Amino acid sequence: MSTPREVPSGPEADPPAQHASIDSAGVTGVVSTLGTTLPPSSGYSTLNGTLHERMAIRFTGSGSEYFRIWIVNLLLILVTGGFYFPWAKVRRLRYFHGNTLVAGQPLGFHGDPKKMLRGFLLVALLGGLYSVAGQFSPVAGLVAFVIVALIWPALFKASLQFRLANTSWRGLRFRFNGSVGGAYRALLPLFVPSAVIVAGVAAVPDQLHPPHWFDALMFSTMGLTALLLPLLIWNLKKYQHGHYAFAQLQTELRAGLGAFYALCLKSLGVFVLAGVIAGVVITALAYGLGHNLVEVAGGRANRTAMMVFGFVIIFGTLLMVQALAMPYFTSRLQNLLWSRTGNSQLRFKSQLRFRSLLRVTLLNWLLMVVTLGLYWPFARVALARLRLESVSVVSRITPDALVAQASQGGDAAGDAAADLFGLDIGL
Amino acid sequence: MNAASSPELDVGYFDGRSARSHRVRIRVSGERLLVAGDGIARSVPLAEVQWPERTRHGPRVAHLQDGGALHADDSAGWDAWAAASGRGDTLVVKAQQSWRWVGAAVLAFALLLAAGYLWGLPWASRAVVALLPQTVDQKIGEIARQSVEGELVQASALPLAQQERLRVAFERAVAQAWPGGAPRHELLFRRGKDKSLGPNAFALPGGTMVLTDELVTLVEGDEAVIVGVLGHELGHVRHRHGLRQLVQVTALGVVSSAVLGDFSSLLAGVPLLLGHAGYARDAEREADADSVHLMRAAGIAPEAMVRFFEKVAAERARQPAAVPSWLGIAIASHPADEERMRYFREASVQR
Repeated sequence: MSTPREVPSGPEADPPAQHASIDSAGVTGVVSTLGTTLPPSSGYSTLNGTLHERMAIRFTGSGSEYFRIWIVNLLLILVTGGFYFPWAKVRRLRYFHGNTLVAGQPLGFHGDPKKMLRGFLLVALLGGLYSVAGQFSPVAGLVAFVIVALIWPALFKASLQFRLANTSWRGLRFRFNGSVGGAYRALLPLFVPSAVIVAGVAAVPDQLHPPHWFDALMFSTMGLTALLLPLLIWNLKKYQHGHYAFAQLQTELRAGLGAFYALCLKSLGVFVLAGVIAGVVITALAYGLGHNLVEVAGGRANRTAMMVFGFVIIFGTLLMVQALAMPYFTSRLQNLLWSRTGNSQLRFKSQLRFRSLLRVTLLNWLLMVVTLGLYWPFARVALARLRLESVSVVSRITPDALVAQASQGGDAAGDAAADLFGLDIGL
Repeated sequence: MNAASSPELDVGYFDGRSARSHRVRIRVSGERLLVAGDGIARSVPLAEVQWPERTRHGPRVAHLQDGGALHADDSAGWDAWAAASGRGDTLVVKAQQSWRWVGAAVLAFALLLAAGYLWGLPWASRAVVALLPQTVDQKIGEIARQSVEGELVQASALPLAQQERLRVAFERAVAQAWPGGAPRHELLFRRGKDKSLGPNAFALPGGTMVLTDELVTLVEGDEAVIVGVLGHELGHVRHRHGLRQLVQVTALGVVSSAVLGDFSSLLAGVPLLLGHAGYARDAEREADADSVHLMRAAGIAPEAMVRFFEKVAAERARQPAAVPSWLGIAIASHPADEERMRYFREASVQR
């Protein structure tokens, strides 16, 4: 927890408390009640007192409008051989940010496409080299892996810093205050299991006849990783959610390790359940279908047919597990993370229901398949609306009391890396 | 522009230092934007304003270079003001806001994807592969060969004399077909470890070609057929199909993830699978053409390959397929046998 900063006062910045009496800046439903300057931040509070504002988040974007933006920009990306990508991305983020209203005021995105293009090219080169290296030899793959693991935490930090520094609300920029050292402590443990496996593969002289210790190493590494996964996620999220900052406020994540183990165990249960249900349903379907086909073919099945059915069963089960179980994990993780993020002055509350997310996810999957992918922009808007609108902000401070703090810009290369490796802020 | 003709608009203003909102009036005067009211009086060059794009949903926010921002909840009011102040939409915004343009974009996008798939990517992969040295093929082929030798095949049981006879027949045909020199290749006789491989022949990047005993047995050692089959495999080597497919699949993956984003890697894999199968069938056709060229040069009627397909079909008839044909065509890596038999038969007639 950072020490509270003095509210600057000067000719431009009036002492905010004087303006905080009733001026709600035209925001409906908001009545400011803060009458004093900021009390010192003194740890976490549940804010069950009466001195608070509840700020709703609304998402006003529309699927049909985003579809128009998406298709025009996709065409431009294709025509320019990919170089338009940063401009398209900036337009997408401006649309999504601009339609995210926190207490009636939109977020803004300020990224510069030209800077992002440089980062994009750099990261594309890096990703290309990485994906090619493994094709040649395990040793080249290991070297590439080590290089990526070593720079990845720095890119991760730069990515968060860039994204937040280029996001604004009511004219003020967000910040990410995590240190580079913290990023390495948060992320390097995640690479240890893969590093052990890659090193093991590189150490085996004959890939086809691995020694006995190889299997033992693989199994124990995977088992240990599964056991430690909640700890690794917790370690990462502590870093990520502990360093978001806006004006004089900085967040921390007040969730214990136990909550992450409970979440992961429950999710595992749902995964297994979904897998069993999906497996039974799909096998029954495939068996019925296969039985009919075998009869058509004269009562004899062959190897190809078995393979196709095996493929259908595996693919269908994976698909159903993803569609059924992922929404559970996603919704519970969002609620856990964001409901425990905040500080003594402000906190978030996330009430994303599994049932709602499941419904939207299943509908998205169905329509994605039916429309051959053209539904993607609609799906994206529907998900953003559901996930954003289930979050609200509870604050002891009226927005008028918030003043800007110095910040660094972050590197656009980090943001591009986030695209390539699939990183997200989680909202 | 004089003050009377330039319209004014009431908006919210944030100074970038505090989150407090000010009610101000803005208007454009010449090359400057004037902001006034609630104790604020500013004049900003128009070029230093990041103007919002017109959208149907969401408020309008103009960002000033020093961190200030102008917020208009009444988007229609802002758009009317911006238009009256001489600010037009960019072409991209016009296209995004018109369903007619969007329809054209969908059409153009589909055509571009189709053209890229049919001509662009095959051409680009040829160009990329031409830039890569042969050692790349050999390196990849070496890794593939290790896994094939270990998992799929074992030493051939064919008599050495028969192996040598087939090898000589094939090399003679190669020398006649490409007197200027054929690509580096190495023919291996191998036997399948189990029944999964069956009568088969395949080529690895870098020139390693494997012929199974099962295939030689199936065609009863028919030299003409085996030369034709090996000519087909040499075609794969000559066109560097292995490396080209690697390039094509990578490019397909990039495009498919650019279009579908991070929706689902499982779904994004479907166009990849289908697109790859399409390219694989094209590669087979190219290799068949090489086979015909080789057989003609060696004085063998391409009709021989028809015998091969008939034998394979007869073998397959003993274990009838239970897969509906529509399912097979979409994911098959080879064109239908009928099409390929027709091709070789016509090649024989043309001679």
